[in-house]
Amino acid sequence: MKTATNVPSQEKFEFSADTLALYKEYLTRYDDIDSALLPTLHLAQEQNGWLSDAVVAYLSELMGIAEIRIKEVISFYDMLYDHPVGRNIVHVCTNITCSMFGGRELYQDLLKHFNTDYLVPTYDGRISIQKMECLGACEIAPCMRLNNEYVGNVDLQTAISKIEELP
Amino acid sequence: MDYRDVANDKDYALLSYHHIPGVHNIEVFERAGGYETMKKCFEMDPEAIKEEVKLSGLRGRGGAGFATGVKWGFFTKDRNAKKYLLCNADESEPGTFKDRYLVERNPHILIEGMIISAWALGTQKGYIYIRGEFYQQAMILERALKEAYAKGYLGKNIMGKGFDFDLYVHRGAGAYICGEETALISSLEGQKGQPKLKPPFPAIKGYRGLPTMVNNVESLAAVPWIMRHGAAAYKQWGTEKSPGTKLFSVSGDVNKPGVIEVPLSTSLREIIEVHCGGMRNGNKLKAVIPGGSSAPVLSAEDSYVVRMDYEDVAAKGSMLGSGAIIVIDETRNMGDILKYTLEFYHHESCGQCTPCREGTGWLEAIFKRKEAGKSNKADIALLDKTAASMRGQTICALADAAAMPTQGMIKVFREELEQYVTAAPKK
Repeated sequence: MKTATNVPSQEKFEFSADTLALYKEYLTRYDDIDSALLPTLHLAQEQNGWLSDAVVAYLSELMGIAEIRIKEVISFYDMLYDHPVGRNIVHVCTNITCSMFGGRELYQDLLKHFNTDYLVPTYDGRISIQKMECLGACEIAPCMRLNNEYVGNVDLQTAISKIEELP
Repeated sequence: MDYRDVANDKDYALLSYHHIPGVHNIEVFERAGGYETMKKCFEMDPEAIKEEVKLSGLRGRGGAGFATGVKWGFFTKDRNAKKYLLCNADESEPGTFKDRYLVERNPHILIEGMIISAWALGTQKGYIYIRGEFYQQAMILERALKEAYAKGYLGKNIMGKGFDFDLYVHRGAGAYICGEETALISSLEGQKGQPKLKPPFPAIKGYRGLPTMVNNVESLAAVPWIMRHGAAAYKQWGTEKSPGTKLFSVSGDVNKPGVIEVPLSTSLREIIEVHCGGMRNGNKLKAVIPGGSSAPVLSAEDSYVVRMDYEDVAAKGSMLGSGAIIVIDETRNMGDILKYTLEFYHHESCGQCTPCREGTGWLEAIFKRKEAGKSNKADIALLDKTAASMRGQTICALADAAAMPTQGMIKVFREELEQYVTAAPKK
């Protein structure tokens, strides 16, 4: 379930010197370059926020992997974005235990509060909200992830104030 | 030395270090006895280690419950052949969070287990495939690996035995199916995480077409204890067919949800009432999902008598799976629970096999129809029939994982489901 409407174009992309160094370190971990694709996509997304056509073209050239192969991989995984997303990603778990404790209502209410939809960045570009498969933290249901940090046992007010703290 | 700084090996095999503050640091871990077993194992014949693990009867803790030692037995004994050891830390089965809990507090027990396993199996390289959402846990592992490299426990010529083993963390990117071992391999290869046909099994032809051993976090983390105290000691716990201890992730309507380690065959009643503080708000138990969302639901009656081992849970018509126990009380509607489950499987089907790609959608469609106020009682029979037709028809077990809880739910709660789909839609 990915939204791909009005995807803007990005002229050019290349790794920063720091990212390039990390990429080269990653290559030493694997016995072939294909295996380094997923970690490299993570790197690119960390630098660029999302995986634009320019990113794909750059990685294709850098790694010698066909663009279509890279796009295929991006389309498969929920955490790789082929369209712009907010600076901060909010994951809300809507699986069994979290839904028992209001995870679904929390997700819907957050969308309403921030006047947005699944993964659509808010007008200020600050956040995107995504409902997710079981996040593996059912003991703190309902749980969410604010960027890479887990937050549990949240109600709507706590969730909103935590999200408001994001840069 | 503070008495707390010693591993509690008597009561626990997996969480024996968890009470020690800062045990994620290698110095603290070693002071408590960590990596001692690894050093001893390097003095042992690798085949003897495999034999000990086989004798322990340890069963794969990812969900399938296949004997780890037997799986190891399928692996080539040619120590020079290039081969891989993969740790499955993709923990995604809804309800499961034990591997996360194990790794974030004590990453070194997993690393020690992997080094011993690598020495036994003769693998030169390993990867810990961890789900993308577990970013913080991946960082904890990265840091722990750095410490282990600095001590010379990883890398070239470990402990002067002329044995090389490199171990890395590999992050997924959000896909349930990557917990299936062949999908995990596809994902590691930089492909879409789609399962592959078996045979050939990964032990024969896996990552990059080479022999590959894939084991769950909890299985690998049990190896140091087994090698330290011996298979016979491990079998003091559990039953003949389900020896040892197991981590259970308990969530839902209990007072104290969380991860516990208890001997296999502990009664579910004891787990709920003693270890998890009883039912929330004093409500009555209605049902339990005993092994993650793929496991058929147990009625309250069965939940109160079942023992949590592979045989007894199977005898009650469900499965122990990953040990994810979701406790459901009388205030819950089972229709909602099934809806959450089926939406999930539809979203996570990788789309390769028609019975799964279409079937999971059809299962979910019944609930969409309900929301449109168009479903009737017969839809439950249709749900049952559709689920039955999905089983055993696909490359991997995802279709079965959606069909089994569906049919299980209908078996126990048919009437409630019929009422659920015919009730007027909300709003």
